[in-house]
Amino acid sequence: MFDIEHGNDGTVLCRGRLDAAQCEKAEGFLAGLEGANTLDFADLEYISSAGLGILLKTQKRLVADGAGLKIINVNNHIRDVFRYSGFHTIFDIRAKE
Amino acid sequence: MQRNFPRHLDTLTPLYEFAEEIMEARDIAEGIRFPVHLAMEELFVNMVKYNPDVSTDIQVDVTLKVNQEVRVSLIDDGGVEFDVTATRRVDIDAPLEDRIPGGLGIHLIQNLVDTLEYEYQDGRGEVIFTKGSGKEDV
Repeated sequence: MFDIEHGNDGTVLCRGRLDAAQCEKAEGFLAGLEGANTLDFADLEYISSAGLGILLKTQKRLVADGAGLKIINVNNHIRDVFRYSGFHTIFDIRAKE
Repeated sequence: MQRNFPRHLDTLTPLYEFAEEIMEARDIAEGIRFPVHLAMEELFVNMVKYNPDVSTDIQVDVTLKVNQEVRVSLIDDGGVEFDVTATRRVDIDAPLEDRIPGGLGIHLIQNLVDTLEYEYQDGRGEVIFTKGSGKEDV
């Protein structure tokens, strides 16, 4: 199960498992973002390469417009997936405290 | 434990639940379970994506060995040959403007599992990977 929505403070809350079957939902939401945005991964348990592709596509679009994504509260497993993918160099990523 | 899964993305949740139930029952560490799920998904999705005209189920076998080692086999009967052990160049240091979405799945598998084998004969491909036999967990 995967959910994505705006929180009360404007951050984008991601929950559950972002696998290949959930990418359409994630992409549909993220395509509507403009400017600088923060994705809160506190309740995101899992991401696969399909989800990474959606994040990359969104980041390329937003950075081209002079903004970008910050991703906060990333768990250790997802952080390592980001590291193996080299995403730590192209996203502002903050680990879960 | 072995089970057959229909060849479409809606199968990913039942596939996850199948492996999770087996690993949870034996108290396999989260640092092993996460990469097992990820490798299973990447392999399964490749088998679905690259064989759009094939209708046979994909056979998945999850075996737990001593010392928290997990062995997973995926058998794709009727799919095209796709050697997941072959080296593929992925530039993870490329700047954002040079990145293209896609192509990270096999790279992640090769980095996250301990062993990875592939065999293809007479239209039947089998991928076997293990996790938990000593490589640093994620």
